[in-house]
Amino acid sequence: MKFLTIGMFVAILAITFGITAWAVRRTRTATDFYAAGKGLTAAQNGLALAGDWCSAAAFLGFTGLTALYGMDGALYAVGPLVAFCTVLLLIAEPLRNTGTYTIGDVIMYRMRQPPALAAAIVGTVVINLAYLIPQMAGGGVLIKLLFGLRYDVSVMLVGVGMIIYVAAGGMLATSWVQIVKAVLMLGAGAVLLFMSLKGVDFDLSALFASAEAKAGPNFLLPGNLLKNPFDEVSLGLGYMLGLAGLPHVMTRFYTVPDATTARRSVIWVMFLAGAFFACTTIFGLAAVHYLGPEALRQGNPGGNLTLPLLAEYFGGGKGTVGGELMLGFVSAVAVATILAVVAGLTLATSGAVANDLYVNLIKKGQVEERQQVLVARMTAVGVGIMATLLGILAEGVNVAVLVILAICIAASANFPVLVLSLFWKRFNTGGVVGGMGLGLISSVGLALIGPAYLGANAIWPLVNPTVVALPLGILGAVVGSLIAGRNHEQEKRFDEVTFRVQTGLRSDAV
Amino acid sequence: MADAIRQSVTLNAPDAWVEGIRSAEFKTLIDAKQRTIVPMLVVFIVGYMGLSVLAGFGRGLLGTKVLGPINLGFVLIGGNYLMSWLIAVVYARISASAHDPLVKLVVDKANGSRS
Repeated sequence: MKFLTIGMFVAILAITFGITAWAVRRTRTATDFYAAGKGLTAAQNGLALAGDWCSAAAFLGFTGLTALYGMDGALYAVGPLVAFCTVLLLIAEPLRNTGTYTIGDVIMYRMRQPPALAAAIVGTVVINLAYLIPQMAGGGVLIKLLFGLRYDVSVMLVGVGMIIYVAAGGMLATSWVQIVKAVLMLGAGAVLLFMSLKGVDFDLSALFASAEAKAGPNFLLPGNLLKNPFDEVSLGLGYMLGLAGLPHVMTRFYTVPDATTARRSVIWVMFLAGAFFACTTIFGLAAVHYLGPEALRQGNPGGNLTLPLLAEYFGGGKGTVGGELMLGFVSAVAVATILAVVAGLTLATSGAVANDLYVNLIKKGQVEERQQVLVARMTAVGVGIMATLLGILAEGVNVAVLVILAICIAASANFPVLVLSLFWKRFNTGGVVGGMGLGLISSVGLALIGPAYLGANAIWPLVNPTVVALPLGILGAVVGSLIAGRNHEQEKRFDEVTFRVQTGLRSDAV
Repeated sequence: MADAIRQSVTLNAPDAWVEGIRSAEFKTLIDAKQRTIVPMLVVFIVGYMGLSVLAGFGRGLLGTKVLGPINLGFVLIGGNYLMSWLIAVVYARISASAHDPLVKLVVDKANGSRS
């Protein structure tokens, strides 16, 4: 089994490094590095978005959650699609029209004051690290499991891969790594979907009936995983608004030439990733039907091995050539998924540090183009090394809390600040700092005293604090704006911002 | 190449947006966009948050069998997939046919009025 998996893994690595070598020669300017020269098509960016947004938590996690907890797993899977409605209607086109490389660009364009940009940088870096560390740790565990390497060596392998993609090939290489991964993932999904349904003569309701018969009468009800009703509401709110505040996904809209293409790329990802999310629910039910609930509970922490086990079963079972082939393929795709997602996160974090912090905040934009690219590459290496070290330190720590935290902060701090910057006239620097501050502090604070971190000793009842942190973030943004007082210069700028949000026209005088 | 793209979206005159934002064309564009976006926002927020709230507080209701072995909860989850895809298709169509031409009018007027 190891040789097949290693073989497929090496093939994927060879393809992605080939892409990187091709991209290096095409990455000269800052626009190339951060935004792939703004030359991606709608279909390419849509696939890359699907690659970015379907992390291992989606690929392996949603399937496992459905197999172990029934409807709650399906609720985890549908949210990430609905989240793109928010992005489609409110964020994608305005973001493409106003920003250049980062979310911080949009805030800076509107506010033109360093504290607002500083708040945006803190938000981006905290969210990205909270998202990046669990991906690194997950990658480490997966490679350790597949190849029998030590955990720290496995994490370093992931780190080296992502640093090469990002530092050398920038957004162009990162985008194509995402695209390759998305195609592999969708291909694997299609094969598994066909096999899942073939065994029940393509009768979906038979899967439901069988899963309920095997896993018990409560299996198809909500609440098996999220016991507290407010956690279900937090999950919904976090998804609905959090995606639009995740910097590594939103920066993808800068890779296309105009707002129309940004919009069309959202349509692509909604059908591609949405169909895949729906499939994870079917895979989860199929796993219960074909493998049985007892087999799924053994040596399958968090359900993350459900999909590989199901693939092995479809291939012919443990020990057969077909079974090993399928298991190897799904495992290799899972590793590719982790590599693609960590590359996107590293690039977005580098953008916040190199472009927002160094070029715009410290140097006030007075940096030569070549210098900008050099700083961006060095930052990518630095961010990559830091993420690798943090990933190694995270061994054995409950990293699930960090993913929830990232989405919670994105919804509670980044999203209100971004939307109000684009659409509220009275919003000002005080509001940016207030919203980012209160959203961030309440998210982190409540997550740290909740059951995800403290377990049975939790002081606060909810795993996911979005239902409280989001209103606090909005409150902070509004109260901050009011305390800072009317800023006539920033209010006057709002008209120009509105014009640019709607048309993409920019004036070079400002 | 990047410069060519950037050039194409730059105003000919730096303050052309002042007239642009006051123009009748711009108001028509904003009205048209709001008429499309606001109802869609209401539909998906009610549809999705409704499902999330029921998942927390209407667990018995969601367990009601409606399609053979499939309960109301899974039907609503399926409905959320269809709702999202429908919004995607309808919004893309309306934007391309109604909003994009209006944007072009505003852009042409803003750049044409000064050059």
